[in-house]
Amino acid sequence: MGSNSPPPGNLPPKPWERAGTTSGPAPFKPPSSGSTSDVVEASGTAKPGEIVPTADRNVTANSTTLARPVPPRPWQNYGTSYGGYGSNMYNSGYGSGIGGMYGGSGMYGGSMYNSGLGGPMGGYGMGMGGPYGNQDPNNPYGPPSSPPGFWMSFLRVMQGVVNFFGRISILIDQNTQAFHMFMTALLQLFDRSGMLYGELARFVLRILGIRTKTRKQQQLGPGELPAPAGQQYLEGPKAPSGAWDSVWGNDVKGSD
Amino acid sequence: MPVFKTPFSGYAVRFSPFYEGRLLVATSQNFGILGNGRLHVLDLLPSAGAAGISEVAAFDTADGVYDCCWSESHDSLAVSAVADGSLKLWDASLPPSANPVRSFREHSREAHSVDWNPVRRDSFLSASWDDSLKLWTLDRPASLRTFREHSYCVYSVVWSPRHADVFASASGDRTVRVWDVREPVSTLVIPAHDHEILSCDWNKYDECCLATASVDKTIRVWDIRATRAPLANLAGHGYAVRRIRFSPHRESVLLSCSYDMTVCMWDYRAEDALIARYDHHTEFAVGIDMSVLVEGLIASTGWDEFVYVWQHGTDPRA
Repeated sequence: MGSNSPPPGNLPPKPWERAGTTSGPAPFKPPSSGSTSDVVEASGTAKPGEIVPTADRNVTANSTTLARPVPPRPWQNYGTSYGGYGSNMYNSGYGSGIGGMYGGSGMYGGSMYNSGLGGPMGGYGMGMGGPYGNQDPNNPYGPPSSPPGFWMSFLRVMQGVVNFFGRISILIDQNTQAFHMFMTALLQLFDRSGMLYGELARFVLRILGIRTKTRKQQQLGPGELPAPAGQQYLEGPKAPSGAWDSVWGNDVKGSD
Repeated sequence: MPVFKTPFSGYAVRFSPFYEGRLLVATSQNFGILGNGRLHVLDLLPSAGAAGISEVAAFDTADGVYDCCWSESHDSLAVSAVADGSLKLWDASLPPSANPVRSFREHSREAHSVDWNPVRRDSFLSASWDDSLKLWTLDRPASLRTFREHSYCVYSVVWSPRHADVFASASGDRTVRVWDVREPVSTLVIPAHDHEILSCDWNKYDECCLATASVDKTIRVWDIRATRAPLANLAGHGYAVRRIRFSPHRESVLLSCSYDMTVCMWDYRAEDALIARYDHHTEFAVGIDMSVLVEGLIASTGWDEFVYVWQHGTDPRA
């Protein structure tokens, strides 16, 4: 292991070490001599191997000037409900045992493209090592995490099935609706084109000099007295039989 | 200029402080959301022109690698920040079966940044999403110290290049903190941006000058003796700025990369601060570095799985 006995470094001097400092005195104590371990231990601040639990992180934050509230973290929003889930499933290979570590359906929360309304950039790299993420042949640490249990996989399958049928039914509903609208539009088109045909035909006949006398009766106003033979109108709007026959031709049958 | 295709999405790139053409590239599968990671050690071939990068070694990890850095004390050692919270020490001269030579597991969430002390050269720092920073030395099995004041993920940590005991950290709680390893608490807190701060870096020539990059698309340069207002506010990126780095050779020049897929070079003292804009990446540009040994040599990587190395002023794709 070459790390324990590093040979004297023949490191070239840094460019800035050849130049003097350009600004005034710095507000630091002058650097101590000796190795870092000795310096830190001499200062009395050494605390080797301290593990930071994620639970009490806010307690220890003696923020001196941090006046603004800290944006919520993805795992604070989502992680709690997944707590037990995460800690007993995924963490066996990691040995850290923090609940909700990988719980986070909001892994992508705060899309990176939005200009960052506090959306944590860091949210991206979360959640490595899914249930099977540790089965790397090069992984020198620990066994792969155990596969999910029977009920977990069964419920996942059930969720998939329910999702599938839900999607199918939505699609069927939408197709039905679309077909209905299509048919309605088609019928309306036929209806209107028939009326257009009638109107045009009437126009053409008029030009050809063929008079359709029935039109005159149909144009009666509501309060107007009908023509002499108009007692049929006293019976109401019910048209006599054959009233439509006179529309097209000159077979005078109904009135007159 | 040389281009290298990595199998996974690039996350970080670092020039070796010992060899001119040696690079370290950290990559993660599936954009770092899920899957494995790989650490590449690359060598530039001096006379090969385009595609002149050869892979010296590649090390696989079970989780994505978010950051990496070379040891300043030994030319083949490197340390990486892995998504399961561990920090792994690699020896590029050993075969992959003998690596990693060391794995430090104390962070309870993803480790997002590492930096090796460039002055005293015997220790390194790590920043993690468990809101803490840890100080490590190779002669101890566990971390030497833990720094816990941030109230949100810590995205970046950088040693001061001129002071052996001072470093800065950038966090999602919208503050940058300056620390002294001998002090029990942070010596300075700068509420630098109104959004999350993703990166920070020290000016190599001015030990009081610090730059921050944020989700609010801007880069700010601060004098730590007067933190009421920034020295400069560099706007020009279209999305969040992911990483910044001061030039090792020129005092007021800094390089940035952003989620708008560009790499920009700035001179924060100039009237027109934007010097150059490189849009060679087709996905988020995530990792950048400037060579300490060759002036003007820039490397970048991104989620389009390419590593570009080019001389400033030339086209990276040429």
